[in-house]
Amino acid sequence: MSAHRSAHRSAHRSTRALIAAALLLPLAACAADTEKKPADTKAADTGGAFPYTVDNCGVKTTYQKAPERAVTMNQHVTEIMLELGLEKSLTGTAYLDDQVLPRHRKTYDAIPVLAKEYPSKEKLLAANPDFVYGGYASAFDAKDGRTRDELKKSGIDSRLNIEYCAKGRTTLDEVYREIDEIGRTFGAGDRAQKWITEARATVKKTEERFKGREPKPVFVYDSGDKTAQTVGGTGIGNELITRAGGRNVFAGIGKAFGDATWEQVVAGKPEIIVILDYGATTVEQKKKRLLDDPVLRDVPAVKNKKFAVLPLSDAVLGVRAPEAITKLASQFSE
Amino acid sequence: MKPATQPTPAPGTEPASVPGTEPASVPGTEPAPVPARRTGARPSTAAASRLRYGAVLTALTAALALAVVAGLSLGSVRIPPGQVIDALLPGAAPSPFRTIVMDVRLPRVLLGVLVGAGLAVCGTVLQALVRNRLADPFLLGISSGASTGAVVVLTLGIGATTAVAMPIGAFAGALAATVLVYGLARRGGSMTGTRLVLAGVTVSYILTALTTLVLVSSARPEHFREALYWSLGGLGSARWDALWIPGLVLAAALPLLLALARPLDLLLVGEEGATVLGLDVSRFRAAVFILVSLVTAVLVSASGAVGFIGLMVPHAARLLVGATHRALLPVSALGGALALVVADLAARTVASPQDIPVGVLTALIGGPLFLWLMRSRNAQGAVL
Repeated sequence: MSAHRSAHRSAHRSTRALIAAALLLPLAACAADTEKKPADTKAADTGGAFPYTVDNCGVKTTYQKAPERAVTMNQHVTEIMLELGLEKSLTGTAYLDDQVLPRHRKTYDAIPVLAKEYPSKEKLLAANPDFVYGGYASAFDAKDGRTRDELKKSGIDSRLNIEYCAKGRTTLDEVYREIDEIGRTFGAGDRAQKWITEARATVKKTEERFKGREPKPVFVYDSGDKTAQTVGGTGIGNELITRAGGRNVFAGIGKAFGDATWEQVVAGKPEIIVILDYGATTVEQKKKRLLDDPVLRDVPAVKNKKFAVLPLSDAVLGVRAPEAITKLASQFSE
Repeated sequence: MKPATQPTPAPGTEPASVPGTEPASVPGTEPAPVPARRTGARPSTAAASRLRYGAVLTALTAALALAVVAGLSLGSVRIPPGQVIDALLPGAAPSPFRTIVMDVRLPRVLLGVLVGAGLAVCGTVLQALVRNRLADPFLLGISSGASTGAVVVLTLGIGATTAVAMPIGAFAGALAATVLVYGLARRGGSMTGTRLVLAGVTVSYILTALTTLVLVSSARPEHFREALYWSLGGLGSARWDALWIPGLVLAAALPLLLALARPLDLLLVGEEGATVLGLDVSRFRAAVFILVSLVTAVLVSASGAVGFIGLMVPHAARLLVGATHRALLPVSALGGALALVVADLAARTVASPQDIPVGVLTALIGGPLFLWLMRSRNAQGAVL
C-alpha cells in the first residue's frame, strides 16, 4: 500500500516519471503484497510507541496518542476491541449481526449502544468520538455522510477492517495484521502480539490433528433455490475451511461470496456441506431444503447427511477465526 | 443492485400511452389492421402464404429441437457429448453426469419450453384483449405480485423450506394482484381495456414499491440476490416435481387459448364490430383476463418473472406470419419456447460458473434480434 502511494508522489516530477510509475505500479502492488507478512511479525516493542503511522485501506493516519473515545460500527470490530481489553477506550458501539461473544457479554453491556444498526451521522457526532472503527465498507456509507474523509474533516480518525480493502485472498495473515494494527493504534501492541501468538498456536494445533490427511471437498451453502449462493475463494470463509482440513469446491470463484449452479454442486461431489447460519432461515430449514432436493441425492454429503454449521458472524475478519477453525475441524472429522 | 425495480412495466406502458388504447383512431394503437391486409392478398398468394407459414413453423420447430439438445449438452459443468448421450439412455448407471443431465438440465429445459410458450401465448392474447400493443402478462401486475409474494416469504423465512414456500408465495402474490386488478378494472359489470391496463399498471407500481420496501428494510444483502432471480426470472430451481403443475395447466389452457383465435380477431377489428358480430366483449374480456392471469401466475411461480418474452415474441411472430390469431398463436408459442430455452442456455454459460437471471438475457439477446427483425420487415413494407 505505502509503496503504492510513494510511487504516486514521485510521479509529479515529469510525465516521463508518471509513465514509468504507471508501468511500475503493478510491481509496487506485488511488492506491497509480499511485504505485509513481515509487518505483522515485527517485534512487539511498539507497545506504547507514539507517534504511530498506519496506512489503512489507502488512508494514512498518524496517531500522536491512543484514541480515547472510540466508536465501533460492527459486531466483529467491537469484539476485536473487547478481546484486546480496550473497553475503556470505547465510548459507543453499533450494529450487531447476531450476538457478541459470550465471554465479552458483560463488558459489552456496560458500553452505550449508539444504534441498533448504523448510527446516523448526527448520532455518531453526538457521541463525540475521536476514532471510528468500521467492520464493513458500508459503515462509512457516503449516502449517510459518514465517509472517512468527512469524519476526518470533523477531526475524527477512522479505520476500516482490512477485509474490505485487501486485494486478493483474505487469509489469517490479514486477521493477525488487523489485530496488530489496532493494538498499536491503541498503544496495546504487546497485548495484540500475545493474542496473535496464542491464535497461531491454536491454529497450529488444529492443523496437526489432520496432518497428512487428504482435504475433504466442502460445499458451503449460504442460501438460494434458483442458484446456490456459496463462499468463493477469496474471503475469510475459504481460509477457515482450508485451515480446518477442507477443500472448498468453489474456491475457483474469485469472490468472497458468489453464485454457483446446482449442476456444479453435483459435479463438485462435496463430502461435507457447511451451512452458513444467519438471518430468518434456520439451519434446519436449509438442511431440509438440501436433503429434499432430488438433484442432490447422490451428492456424498447429502447421502451421508454430513453437515457442518458455520455462523456467519464467525466468517469475518475478527477474533473468532481461530476458534471457528477448531470448531469446523472437529465437525469435519466427525 | 435493484432487483425489485425490474418488474415495473416497460417505460412505454406508462399511463401516458394508455388512454390511447380505447378508440381506434388514436395514433400509436391502431388496432392491428393486419388480418385484413393478409386476407386481402388472396387468392393469388394464398398458396404461397400457406407455404410460407409451414416453413416458419418447421423452422421454429427445428430450431427449438436444436436448442433443447444444446440445453442438455451445455451448461456450467462441461460434459463430453458421449457422456450426455449415455446419461439419456434408459438404464444408465447413476453418476453425477447422469444426475446433471437428467435431473438438472432436462427439467430446466422443459420448464423453459413451458414457461416460454405460455408467456408468449398469454402476451399475444392480452395484446388483442386490451387492444394495446404494449400489453404483456406483466403489465397487469401479475409479475409484480409474484415478486412481492416470493420476497415476503424469503425475508420472513416462512415455511419449512424456501424451495417449497417461495413458489407458493409467488403464486399467492400473483393471484392477489390479479384479484385486485380485476376488482379495480370492473365497473358495473363492464370491463374496458383502458381500465384494465390502468389498474394493472397502478397495482404493478404499488407492488414493486412494496417489494423494494420489504427488501430494503430486511437489510440482508443475500436476500437481494435471491430476490433478483424472482424479479428477473431464473430456471435454476427447475426439478421434475416442479414441472407437473405448469405442465398440466398449460396442457389445459393452451388448446383453450388457441380456440379463442376467432373472437380475438374480432376484437382487433374493433369493439363495436365485435359486438355487432355477436361477441359480448366485456364478458369475454373479463373471462379471458382471468384465464391468462391464472396461467401466468402458475408459470411465474415456477420461473420467476421472466420479462420480454410476453411482450416481444408476439410482435416478432406477427411480423413473421401476420396478425390472424389462428396462425399467430402457434408461432408465438414456438417462438416463446425457443426464446426462453436459448436465453437460459446463455444465462448458465455466459458467466459460468455463475448463473445470470434469465430475464437479463431474454432482453439482451431478444432485444437486438427483435429490432433487426422489425427493421428488415419494415423494409419489405410490413406493418409495425
